[in-house]
Amino acid sequence: MFMNVWKNVRRTRLRTVVAALAAALLVGGAVAQSAPSGTLRVGMETPSKLDPAYASSDAEIAVLNAVYDYLVDVDADNNVQPRLATSWKVSSDGLTYTFELATDATWHDGSPVTAQDVVYTFDRLRDPAAKLPTSDLYADIASVTASGPHQVTFTLKKTNPFFLYDLSDNHAVIVKNGTTDFTAFDGSGPFVVQSYHPDDRMELTANPHYFMPGKPGVAKLELIFFSDPAAEVSALRGGQIDLATRLPTPLYQSLANVKGIARLDVPTNGFNVIRLRSDRAPGNDPRVVEALKLAVDRQAITDAVTQGLGAVGNDTPIGPLYKAYYDPNAQPPQTDAAKARELLKEAGYPDGLKLDLHTPNTGDRPDLAVVLKQQLAKAGFDINVIVEPESVYYGDNKWLDVDFGITGWGSRPYPQFYLNVMLACNAKWNESHYCNPAFDALVEDAGTTLDAAKRVADYHEIQAMLASTGPIVIPYFFPQLGAIRDGFSGYQLKAFAGRSDLAAVHAP
Amino acid sequence: MARPAAAAGIVRRRSGAWRRLLRGLYARPSSALGATLAAAFLLLALLGPWVTPYGPLDQDFAARSQPPSPAHPFGTDHLGRDVLSRVVAGDRDIFLLAGSGTLVAVLVGTLVGLAASYRGGWVEEVTYRVFDSLLAIPALLLALLLLGSLGPSRVSVLAVIAVAYTPIVARVVRSVVLDTKTKEYVLAARMQGESTAFVLGREVLPSVLPALAVESALRFSYAIFLVASLGFLGVGVQPPNPDWGLMVSEARDYVYLTPWTLTFPALAISLLVIAVNLLADGLKRVLQVGDTP
Repeated sequence: MFMNVWKNVRRTRLRTVVAALAAALLVGGAVAQSAPSGTLRVGMETPSKLDPAYASSDAEIAVLNAVYDYLVDVDADNNVQPRLATSWKVSSDGLTYTFELATDATWHDGSPVTAQDVVYTFDRLRDPAAKLPTSDLYADIASVTASGPHQVTFTLKKTNPFFLYDLSDNHAVIVKNGTTDFTAFDGSGPFVVQSYHPDDRMELTANPHYFMPGKPGVAKLELIFFSDPAAEVSALRGGQIDLATRLPTPLYQSLANVKGIARLDVPTNGFNVIRLRSDRAPGNDPRVVEALKLAVDRQAITDAVTQGLGAVGNDTPIGPLYKAYYDPNAQPPQTDAAKARELLKEAGYPDGLKLDLHTPNTGDRPDLAVVLKQQLAKAGFDINVIVEPESVYYGDNKWLDVDFGITGWGSRPYPQFYLNVMLACNAKWNESHYCNPAFDALVEDAGTTLDAAKRVADYHEIQAMLASTGPIVIPYFFPQLGAIRDGFSGYQLKAFAGRSDLAAVHAP
Repeated sequence: MARPAAAAGIVRRRSGAWRRLLRGLYARPSSALGATLAAAFLLLALLGPWVTPYGPLDQDFAARSQPPSPAHPFGTDHLGRDVLSRVVAGDRDIFLLAGSGTLVAVLVGTLVGLAASYRGGWVEEVTYRVFDSLLAIPALLLALLLLGSLGPSRVSVLAVIAVAYTPIVARVVRSVVLDTKTKEYVLAARMQGESTAFVLGREVLPSVLPALAVESALRFSYAIFLVASLGFLGVGVQPPNPDWGLMVSEARDYVYLTPWTLTFPALAISLLVIAVNLLADGLKRVLQVGDTP
């Protein structure tokens, strides 16, 4: 309708006038909206660790993202964006990064945000003695210094093409110099905590002095905690909350055609890895690994487990979201149960191979285990599914020990993380115990070279290796699913839901 | 030294008792309903694999999330498994687990209860203090503790039921034995110099049986709940087995999308528990437990 009218406006001059009018209307609207108004009620899982150094779940990060600021942010398209740092410069050798901070940013108690706060934050997160989750990530930072009242300089020990992404790690919200107790929530972020009732809710109000123009959009933000996603969806349907993310597929699907609720669906690079320990029998026999890869029908798994909402995987953690880094030609062997059975026989399992499959009881992993059991049975694998609470699966590092397991990995803005942390020989969470010196050399090169084309080539070669012989199966990348009440605007769901910008949302 | 005629007499007397019991149960609609339903569930458990149209684990991806229809009377779940076949297979499972768990609890509880309470003295004291301390822990908590250390499996679920319910059965046995052992016919048997085993088996046990029958039925209904709860919490029977509690737990997120996957196993749990409870009430009435001295 609008387009028809537009086409009918024939004369260019008239078009210009109409466009100018429309722009004026839009600007006027934006000005009218600039004062925060209305309330946004967000359903989420119950956060427990709200010290930024230890926070990790989506809910915990969502709280941090509302209360504090990151130095730089990563948008929904994986591009680095300014936040507390308004601009930055990188030296030609790639070893020195200089950031200019927003000069009008203040802490919720009124004092200004200074370079010293940034130095304190990163010195805390990278302190090797503190053994924080970020210690390894920031091990290659040589120094962080305040080169001016609002200027911070990072010096690196070796080049890192992903350093800006590392600085935007979920843990790395900027905290006030000297803070050790994080229960006061004295951040610089768009929302100020008014009350926090653990296990129930957190109530926040718009930060009236927030330095980013036009933010936040709502005057009041309520974070309401749920232990059961079905209850969360019932609350959304019943009008008690306005936004829910991290929805299980069936609950997301149940919201189709529900009046007043819009569904949100974004692809992510999050995946479940089915991994076979490759440093001891039976996984140390390449024929067993190949049989496993041959036995799996990734498309059928994607259809059954994600109800077709996921993207089919190629047994590598480098998914299509990474654009140039992703190589669609790196394909695992074609599904062939008969050939798999033959390989198992050759490997010394003529009567089939009996394996316990361990998996946490969260998300779609139990379903994946059940479908996998059936697919593998056709190839002669006799799978005994053991579903465990996450506390058991991850407790005592059991997940790193078991022979056959399914582990969920969250979406990251760049692929190097997975290679460094789960697949390199001495990676911290090398659950498949994969160790291949040629592979490690490629990983090292990709993670340090400043030559983008070289990095792309490295990643392609890595994918070819993993798809054909890696002791892992990655059948699909799951989508991030959510739903929002009609009338709210400006919300953009991100792959890691906790990093979605609640300050950009405007209430109806 | 039973002569044929006497043996026949016993058989006749026993079948007479059964008939009286059944007549008593069917005299009231509530216990008649309970007995019929429980029998139907038992029959289904026995015939299960021969009457269900599909295997309980068979996935048919072409027929995923189908609502109830003639081909799938209870519909199918998100993996294309026939819900009716799973509910029936789960019925068999629950009778196996809850049934044999209860049986072990009743056998052990009766033996220990009879022996300890008849003997009296410090044996009784020690036995019942240990049982009392077990009873102080709620059954579900005890079950979680045990499963946490044993690891989830069918055998450990069975063991958990036995451990949780043995003390309760022993307590019931004790209450009857304490009363019976001072009865004149028991004293007479002891004076005649009968062995303890004979006195317990022939004189004391018969008076315990009615209370025991009622208690067994009650325990069975609690055991069904316990197995279902453990399955629901994910520490009992493991997927893809068609445990009712597990099925309810798995279907929670499907409550809006495919409600039948949640409804039928939940209905099965409720129906069986109600049926067994009604049956226990009926037994209590017919056997006059609580009224008999």
